[in-house]
Amino acid sequence: MNRRRRTKILIDGSPHLARKLANVIEQNYTVHIVTEPHHALTMIKMRETAKKTLFYLGEVLVTETKVQIGQSFGIGIVVGDEEVLSYQLAVIDAAYEADLAETTNWTALLEEEERHIRETREKLEANLLKTKVNFEMMDV
Amino acid sequence: MAYVAVKGGTEAIEASIQRLQFERIQHQELLDVKTIMATMRGMVDQVMSESSLYSEFLAALAIKQAEGNMEEAVFLLRAHRSTLPRHYYTRVVETETMVVERRISASFKDIPGGQILGASYDYTHRLMDFDLIDESEASMQTWLEQYLVEEVAVSEGTDLTALPKVVDYLRKEKLLAEVSEDQTEPIDVTKRSLQFPTTRGERLQVLTRGQTGAVTSLGYAAIRGYGAVHPTVGELRVGKLPLTIGHPTDPSDDFTNDYYIGEIKVTEVESFVPITVQKDNHREELEFEIGYGICYGQNETKAIAMSILDQSLEFGRQGHPTQDEEFVLLHIDSVESSGFISHLKLPHYVTFQSKLDSMRRIKKESGQ
Repeated sequence: MNRRRRTKILIDGSPHLARKLANVIEQNYTVHIVTEPHHALTMIKMRETAKKTLFYLGEVLVTETKVQIGQSFGIGIVVGDEEVLSYQLAVIDAAYEADLAETTNWTALLEEEERHIRETREKLEANLLKTKVNFEMMDV
Repeated sequence: MAYVAVKGGTEAIEASIQRLQFERIQHQELLDVKTIMATMRGMVDQVMSESSLYSEFLAALAIKQAEGNMEEAVFLLRAHRSTLPRHYYTRVVETETMVVERRISASFKDIPGGQILGASYDYTHRLMDFDLIDESEASMQTWLEQYLVEEVAVSEGTDLTALPKVVDYLRKEKLLAEVSEDQTEPIDVTKRSLQFPTTRGERLQVLTRGQTGAVTSLGYAAIRGYGAVHPTVGELRVGKLPLTIGHPTDPSDDFTNDYYIGEIKVTEVESFVPITVQKDNHREELEFEIGYGICYGQNETKAIAMSILDQSLEFGRQGHPTQDEEFVLLHIDSVESSGFISHLKLPHYVTFQSKLDSMRRIKKESGQ
């Protein structure tokens, strides 16, 4: 599973999954923390829709961690004040970078979580769509 | 009279800071940062927007520290921002990817995907709700349970992650001119001071971090006669934008190797502004220009006002104050404007004495 999809599932999904996957790696390997979880900024680059110009919307606070497993490095970056999740994401990223055997079993777990995220979202969307306007023409 | 340098006041200043702490806690009531984050949505959004730093947690902390004083909270957050390293830039964010929570148009009744009211004060009576005085934890839980367990049938396939933009629809219909993507790298106003004339990217960055009241007031002035804008909101959206960054050691455009880092809530507005243009055959025709507004959180008035000022600065050439980019851009920043006004409280003893000396000398010379 590619990194973009994987990180989306781990961040949008239940925090239990990231904890569970990181714990497995911590039990089986030595995880060296290269950079402790810390706050940093990420600048948001946008394209507006009137003239399709690029501009900077502003910055967003992120929590970032870097770890090393063997010769492989992993990065965990997440919006907000999320030290624990940032560390877990870094461990999981390093596990994939090192192509550890454990990662082969994770695809099914990630896909299951992705399904759960989709179902939750659909439920919330259905609720939100109660506010969708149904216009009726008036007889005048 | 000679000038003398003076010092002192250190103890008084320390006592003043103690007094400030006393004012904040003297009633022995504490407001938890989590409570501010959960219940002061509008205030948190405004502080994040004017600080140009998206962090609900830090904004709530700043609000607590500033006792709800907006300009102080924005100042605190801007100051804190200057202590943090900036390690990354996101991939270019396109608002077509927004997960929509609210979406309306004042221009068209039937927009593709429909009008979704979401959460808004617009449809309330604006009557004080005195029941909130006795609102309890139990009543809150009961209401939430009823609201969330209610079964809602999904009657149609409206995908809130892929709602078409109204401007794209109008461009396809040839009612708005097509524009191609401008790939010019934007200038970051936090890295380089404004130089006039500004680029469009700089204007948008300054407008989106502008003080809500200032942006709204100047937007209003542009409609009232100190400008020449008469807009209609083409589309207003509130929703969440997903953010991704490229891998630091992978310079390719392989988006699948990106890091998804989370999402932010924004309000986005496209306003349609009618203008009269002279055609080749000397006939006048009506066309629409688009004003663009966006800001952190749900702050619809600011985003609409920004779209008015964007159009005003982009196309205005009739000499109105709201078409003057120096006038608009240099006066809407919360920290700059409140900082300058506030500095008038600081000791000006020497300069003021100098003025008094001049007055005395002139009076003496004129024999008064």
